[in-house]
Amino acid sequence: MLVGITYDLGSYVSENWEFLLRGLGRTLLVSAIAIGGALVIGAVLGAARAHRVPVISQLASAYVELIRNTPILVQIFFLYFALPQPIGPWPGVRLDVFTVAWLAVMIWGGAFNTENFRAGFEAVPWRFREGALALGFGRVATFLNVTLPIGGRIALPSSINTYIAVLKNTALLYVISYEELTTSALQVNALTLETAETFTVLGAVYLALVWSLSAGIRGLEGRLALPESR
Amino acid sequence: MIALLPDWVEPVFRYMLEVGLRNTLRTAAISLLTSTVIGVLLGTLITIRFWPTQALIRLYIEIWRGLPIIVTLFLIHFAVPTLVPRFRFDPFTSGIITLTLWGSAQIAEATRGAVQSIPREQHEAASALGFGWVGRHSFVIFPQALRRLIPPLVSLLVAIILNTTLIQVIGGSELLETGEQSVERLAAPPPSGIFQIHAFEIYGAVAFAFFVMCFPLTRLAGWLERRLVA
Repeated sequence: MLVGITYDLGSYVSENWEFLLRGLGRTLLVSAIAIGGALVIGAVLGAARAHRVPVISQLASAYVELIRNTPILVQIFFLYFALPQPIGPWPGVRLDVFTVAWLAVMIWGGAFNTENFRAGFEAVPWRFREGALALGFGRVATFLNVTLPIGGRIALPSSINTYIAVLKNTALLYVISYEELTTSALQVNALTLETAETFTVLGAVYLALVWSLSAGIRGLEGRLALPESR
Repeated sequence: MIALLPDWVEPVFRYMLEVGLRNTLRTAAISLLTSTVIGVLLGTLITIRFWPTQALIRLYIEIWRGLPIIVTLFLIHFAVPTLVPRFRFDPFTSGIITLTLWGSAQIAEATRGAVQSIPREQHEAASALGFGWVGRHSFVIFPQALRRLIPPLVSLLVAIILNTTLIQVIGGSELLETGEQSVERLAAPPPSGIFQIHAFEIYGAVAFAFFVMCFPLTRLAGWLERRLVA
């Protein structure tokens, strides 16, 4: 049989759409959990960094540098293959594939988001905070009512870029055989050998997701600019 | 100090450094070079107001930046040879092609921004002195744009070093792959292995090696950014 000579996208999609859609569902699920977690990590640790909260700020900085300067693939390997190993009194922790999947991309996204939010919070003009303090707001109330909404707005485009990268990084979960979109597509490919069709669908889905999110950022950038910088 | 370490350490680390690290650094160096050359060329060409080339280069940038790098790697390594059997590459060549597609897209975008940031008068002055398009860009515009390009180039080097680990997925003996081979060999029964799991130490060492390479470069990129661009 001549395999790979014919190109029939229609029958490929109609035969495999259910399986691929489940993969896409897992990609989106893991991305959503990781993005939610990265948002919280970024806002909390970014605030600690920007306000130089002792101890937490230094720990957050170490976390950010460690994650930014090591490959995410090594981080995934470490969580999945190294953590279960008992060492001395440490009994080892065995995490299941799904936990490693969202945890790995969340830890990665959280580190980059900490930087995004730190930069955002530090970009809030000092006189805004001074104004809040003069009105009798406490330090926490000043943060929640002034620094967070304005700084979060400044940090939004760069943090969406991080979320796009998180979504793309879920493809790496192939190495631990988590059945997200890329793993599913390659499984279909191994059975059908319809390589051209597989990569057409895979590429089209990722580009559709990434391009629409990028277009979203460009749309937001104009709307979110602070009134005075317009 | 060496005497305190268990017997398995020396051959494993010698292998990881002499084979793994060497391949990682060689691949990263070649990919950085090819990405920079192609990226600068495309980034300069896209500034010419001629829509067909602008559209093509824009498509190139958006596709290779938009796809998860591992999907591009699978595309080059597994899908391309099924369509064009002549283009069957070893893992490192596929890795270099993939990192070049991705890296050149990043550099093209950075170059476009840098070239367009050079004021119009520079173009006019160079033309008045009798420079043609090529001479004007090579001797007048690009040297000034380079100042803005150096920080993204250093960041790209870090990203490329980190992303060389993806070659592990298709079986190239870069640093992470040599680590994984060592973990598996040690876990095997004698005579090849010693029935022990050392994933924690070995993946920890891999992470440490990447951190040592990338942390100073990340710092350098930040410092250059503050110094050269501001």
